[in-house]
Amino acid sequence: MDMRAPAAADAATPRDGRRLPVGGWELALTALLVAVVAGFGAAAPGFYAGPASLLGLTENFLPFGLVALGLSLVILTGGIDLSVGAVASLSAVLAAQLWSRFGVDIWAASALGVAIGALLGLLNAAVILRLGIEPLIATLGTSFLYGSAAVAAAGAAPPSGFPASFTAVGTGTLGSLGPLAGLVPIQLALFAALAVLFSALVARSPFGRVLVMVGYSPDAARYSGIRTGRVLATAYAVSGAMASLAGLVLASYYDAVRPDMGDVLLLTAITMVVLGGISIFGGEGTVAGVVVSVLVLGFLRQGMLIAGFSDMVTTMLTGAILLASIAAKNLFNRRGTGLANQIWATIRRPEPPRANPN
Amino acid sequence: MSAQRDADSAMPGFYAAQGIRKSYGAIQVLKGISLDLKPGRMVTIMGENGAGKSTLFKILAGQVPPTGGTLRLAGAPVALASPSAAHARGIYLVPQEPALLPELSVAETMFVGALPTRGGPLGRRVDWAAMRARARAALDALELPIDVDRPARTLSIAQQQQVECAKALLRGCRIILFDEPTSPLTSHEVEHLFSIMRRLKADGCTLSFISHRMDEVLEISDEIAVLRDGVLVDVVARPSFDRARLLSRMVGRPLKAVPRRAASNARDEVALEVRGLSDGLRFADVGFSLRRGEVLGLAGLVGAGRTEIAETVFGVRPAAAGEVRLGGAVVTGLDCHAMIRRGLVYVPEDRARHGAVLPMTITENVTSGLLDRVRRRAGLLSARDEARISAAAVRDFRVRCAGLDQPLRELSGGNQQKVVFAKWMTTGPRVAILDEPTRGVDVGAKEDIYEMIDAMARDGMALLVISSESEELVRLCDRILSIYEGRVVAELSGADISPAAVARSYLTAAAPSGGVAA
Ligand SMILES: Nc1ncnc2c1ncn2[C@@H]1O[C@H](COP(=O)(O)OP(=O)(O)OP(=O)(O)O)[C@@H](O)[C@H]1O
Ligand SMILES: [Mg+2]
Repeated sequence: MDMRAPAAADAATPRDGRRLPVGGWELALTALLVAVVAGFGAAAPGFYAGPASLLGLTENFLPFGLVALGLSLVILTGGIDLSVGAVASLSAVLAAQLWSRFGVDIWAASALGVAIGALLGLLNAAVILRLGIEPLIATLGTSFLYGSAAVAAAGAAPPSGFPASFTAVGTGTLGSLGPLAGLVPIQLALFAALAVLFSALVARSPFGRVLVMVGYSPDAARYSGIRTGRVLATAYAVSGAMASLAGLVLASYYDAVRPDMGDVLLLTAITMVVLGGISIFGGEGTVAGVVVSVLVLGFLRQGMLIAGFSDMVTTMLTGAILLASIAAKNLFNRRGTGLANQIWATIRRPEPPRANPN
Repeated sequence: MSAQRDADSAMPGFYAAQGIRKSYGAIQVLKGISLDLKPGRMVTIMGENGAGKSTLFKILAGQVPPTGGTLRLAGAPVALASPSAAHARGIYLVPQEPALLPELSVAETMFVGALPTRGGPLGRRVDWAAMRARARAALDALELPIDVDRPARTLSIAQQQQVECAKALLRGCRIILFDEPTSPLTSHEVEHLFSIMRRLKADGCTLSFISHRMDEVLEISDEIAVLRDGVLVDVVARPSFDRARLLSRMVGRPLKAVPRRAASNARDEVALEVRGLSDGLRFADVGFSLRRGEVLGLAGLVGAGRTEIAETVFGVRPAAAGEVRLGGAVVTGLDCHAMIRRGLVYVPEDRARHGAVLPMTITENVTSGLLDRVRRRAGLLSARDEARISAAAVRDFRVRCAGLDQPLRELSGGNQQKVVFAKWMTTGPRVAILDEPTRGVDVGAKEDIYEMIDAMARDGMALLVISSESEELVRLCDRILSIYEGRVVAELSGADISPAAVARSYLTAAAPSGGVAA
């Protein structure tokens, strides 16, 4: 018997080779979600008027969730995409123009819109990789470019009045599939399907694995034969495609497009990703966390509005929750690489400068 | 005796651990360690990978809290809440992986957390001039010719360690703990570090260090403490050192050490051929051919350009001129993604930066060398297949861990190294470049790795080994190329290979007048 490696023998019968898809943070968020829904259900008349109306509330915030899913990939790489709002506007406006001016079928135009979003994302990646510009600055720059392109493309009278089959995406339910399915908004079904897809992608697909590796350590990834440029390009393309999908859902919801319609998406989507537990330094976090945080923030906002608080108060509370939860996470999670941890470490190092020893 | 000890233990600089225990969850890493560190003496800690050496040092330096036991400084109990609390009491740990902030200048890294300031009418400001001058003085005191304005990322590992020593002095620390300072160094640099240590010792500093290299330990230590599975199994003082006894105490079984492999396994078929390779910067006109089953060594000082040559062959660094052929096909200019798929792998020198992703699990690290080999189900990686690959690696390479999904950063340094080695070796390469393959690995495990390399060569793998330990090259290689300032200056083969010949081959190049004593 080999006395030197007792633990290795245990390890040969592994606990489980997989990284748990949910950890403490996801569970804490889920508890928060239950508290938010139950709290408003009890305290705000009108928040809960049957399951259909509760699920129907999600139509007001799931476009944010779609953006957050795509943005998660970019933030997992340690990057950021500030152009998602402008991409949403530009691709929705272009798709609507294709439909109204050139008579393209609305679904074909939508598919082209998503493709345009992916292309705009690739352009972001090209600026970051080829010109060597920080993602923050690069996507800030492109967001102005895409935003003004959207204004130019929209013209004086942007298209509206889409076919009913299209507007159903934003406001309809799966009613035709059976009585119970009638409770489920199409938006929710779309979000749920994509959430499962993204979760599997990040947790278990080869692409997700290299994405996380690039996020933790671009150098180690490169030395492991990972073509990091392609991984980043894919992440930004997916983020662009998801942003344009969100823009199209908004177009369907409002039955109109406007060149600034995507502007509201950005900050809330970033908040959802970060509250969901994805570290802005890359690598750390799960899609499951982001999904729960989309629901927490979405229902919170809807609940506040229904309870009669102003938009300003609601936004302030969102900011406060974000800061408080991240601070809590970093304080209780010793492994955190978060900003709060670093600030904390600095505060705890009150060492005075010392004189020369000798 | 006991009265004498009591008197001693009240001396300033006398630092004692009493019954120190540490557990991570259910795992007991230290099981009651009592050890005295005394001023003017060097106490060396030896032990296998994962024995608990680094953990003991981290406790002594306030980086992790002990689960039980007391620390006494000059006789009085101390509680160290943080590394800065330890610094304030004069205790400094030079970590196993020096972590200087790469973007700062040398002077800045030396003062992180304790910037000198100067008062002004608008409040206190950082005194840059004083900072540079004091950094300069601290480096001068140790005779280290390092420019204080250089960015820290340009320092070699040896220099980073030297800067850490200067940093300890700067903070007025006189109890200095070194965690495996010598494992990335060549014998030449080790001598330099030892001269610094001797000077500190003569000056009355309290020193302790961790090493896996027996010769060094016998040379520098006043006392040797052997740690096994979290228990202090032996403490011996000079002059009663006994190499064989130390080894058997450490490993708990007799060790057979082979000084040199008997026969070469080299076959006729050329596996890797390099001609006239230059990167236009660090090395020029490097050529060699490596046959299947052959083990070729690259000897030289740290900074000679050996790692750069390896990285260029592997394709993570561009070549300016020259040709690389892999199994006859020209592969010059391909990236490492393509190289890995053609059967060429590189086990990098810098484990923390290039070799491993420390927050990821053992399994994720092992399979990351070649994800293609993991079975897929519906496009997703099969968790079971991954666990199978990783369990085999952990077993074959004797990695000591609590489970396959333990994050790599929770493993001891030597065990991390084994995981990185396993990550590449389990991809089934035809040519492997090993850059310091046994860095931080204990004596027993080192011999295991040597035997694995022998076996792989027997199976026809071609290996290029870079090592700063002459003994390692002598043990492993059929042929050795000596590199000096980016050029091949000598070649040794067969019976000519000996530690002295290896050291001489590049040192004579360093002093063409021929006046160097190896
Ligand atoms: N944060 C942690 N969580 C769980 N286990 C840990 C943690 N840190 C260390 N360990 C375990 O403690 C044991 C001792 O580790 P330590 O780093 O002290 O070993 P070492 O003697 O320094 O080995 P090496 O020679 O390889 O550097 C190892 O088995 C390691 O896996
Ligand atoms: Mg160690």
